[in-house]
Amino acid sequence: MTSYVKETFEFMKLALEQANDALANLEVPVGCVFVEDGEVIASGRNRTTETRNATRHAEMEAIDFLVQQWQKNGLSPLEVSERFSKCTLYVTCEPCIMCAAALSYLGIKEAYYGCANDKFGGCGSVLSLHTSNSNLPTSELASSKKGFKCTGGIMASEAVSLLRSFYEQGNPNGISLSP
Amino acid sequence: MENTESVLPQVCKIIHIPEKPSFLPHLQPTVNMFASVIEPKDANTLVRKLNKIAPLENLQHVKRVQRKSIDGGKPQLSLLLCMIVGNDGGDDCMPYEILELVKSYQLSTFITKVCKYAATSKEEWDEQCKLWPTSYHPPTYNISGITGFSEEESQSVFSFMRHTINLATSSIGQVVNAAVIVDPSTKQVIASACDQVISSASLANGVSKEGSCSNYLENLKASNLDQQTSLLDGSISEFKPITNNVACVHPWQWALRSSGCWHPLRHAAIVAIEYSAARDLQLFPDHKALSPLKRQKIEESGFHSNGHSYQSLRPYLCTGYDIYLAWEPCAMCAMALVHQRVRRIFFSSPNSIAGALGSVHRLQGERSLNHHYAVFRVVLPEEVFRNKVVDGKASGSG
Repeated sequence: MTSYVKETFEFMKLALEQANDALANLEVPVGCVFVEDGEVIASGRNRTTETRNATRHAEMEAIDFLVQQWQKNGLSPLEVSERFSKCTLYVTCEPCIMCAAALSYLGIKEAYYGCANDKFGGCGSVLSLHTSNSNLPTSELASSKKGFKCTGGIMASEAVSLLRSFYEQGNPNGISLSP
Repeated sequence: MENTESVLPQVCKIIHIPEKPSFLPHLQPTVNMFASVIEPKDANTLVRKLNKIAPLENLQHVKRVQRKSIDGGKPQLSLLLCMIVGNDGGDDCMPYEILELVKSYQLSTFITKVCKYAATSKEEWDEQCKLWPTSYHPPTYNISGITGFSEEESQSVFSFMRHTINLATSSIGQVVNAAVIVDPSTKQVIASACDQVISSASLANGVSKEGSCSNYLENLKASNLDQQTSLLDGSISEFKPITNNVACVHPWQWALRSSGCWHPLRHAAIVAIEYSAARDLQLFPDHKALSPLKRQKIEESGFHSNGHSYQSLRPYLCTGYDIYLAWEPCAMCAMALVHQRVRRIFFSSPNSIAGALGSVHRLQGERSLNHHYAVFRVVLPEEVFRNKVVDGKASGSG
């Protein structure tokens, strides 16, 4: 664990804060931040209960914010794609198959996650959508499907304890985020 | 695996896409294993030891012991030892503990084939047992349609699919993906949407109004007749719809679009889910959010408290709903439909580049997922696509 730079943990702590906010709002506690050039440019947390839309995962929330922001600033699709290719995602739980596919379509640079997602994980647990797929026709490969680097196990126990307290209906306000 | 309806025009078909690739019963994939004839008195001890040192991982359907009758009723027992890891099949490919057993019980080993996947039908099971005995559990769940569709159901499925393809092809001469969420119990459209990845492909979609859709079903029946007559035109095989703008087929190419990008992830299914969720909020605004655990308990017990009797009318997410898609969804959309608890997926065209329901991935066969839908491909005459695209182009250029 010591081999990761300090900022990896700092960013994951911010993602855990988002997850904690989800828990306080009776949502499944998963949170994330997007980082570009060492700076947090978006954050998100699960909003599936509030929206009654089970696809409103933390990553989707943050991605929608970024796309809207960049479009407001007049960025072209190519420019939006370039910005995503410089982004690193920190998320408390391994992206599910839906989110992993989305991150692959966007072409982000890298992802760090907390705990693995044995049932739905799309970055190695059930499917490996983060790896580049050489089976694709060359025309598709040319259009940016390089895959993204993915590292798990960053502050996993904190992420798990948040999830556990949600599913056990524990006290949403009694969660410590200290590593 | 085909559930075809013979009274319908031959070009219309509903094909169930099962959880694993289907094989002819006698062509099922097999794996090679070491086995040995054993003394019946040693059977219990050996099975216990082997389950510890060489459990049948991923082969839970395979029985450890084979019982054969030889020489007029005298039983002979054979036992599976372990999988063969090397290619040569020599004794040196056996793990050390197995070799020890072989020595101490003086087993003479042989190689046998066993079927790699659990049988999904009686026919498959019969073939499997010719190689080595397996167990067979008929599906414990039965989603309506897996065992076939009635004439009325089939007509309804074809109508909704035509409607979906109309949506997919009516967008300014372009083919996109379209998604239509339907409550099959009332034949009501809950929500419909097209890809919103490029802004020019946007349509005036929205939450469907409550109320009857009988007119629209009438219209579908009328167009159905048109399409049948146009089949005489004879140019069916030459036509291939241009899929460049179908988000689920080319999910990585959004950035290369010259037209203004609306949102790289707003694929038709994702948007339709959003609309159905918005509709739910609109129809049941006061509903208090229940924790998934609590809701599950209520669902399991079938109990509805008096104060919330309307709750029984409100489905949890898209439980019980069907979705129609012009193209087989990509992994993102297929997983979104797992999350939203859709009951059945009907798609028209397979998606060899990124399809996640049989073409590239097969999410309906991922047992770890907490929800499983049934998947069907609906085959309609290609005329349905062709006429629409031609029409669209004509009006777009004019």
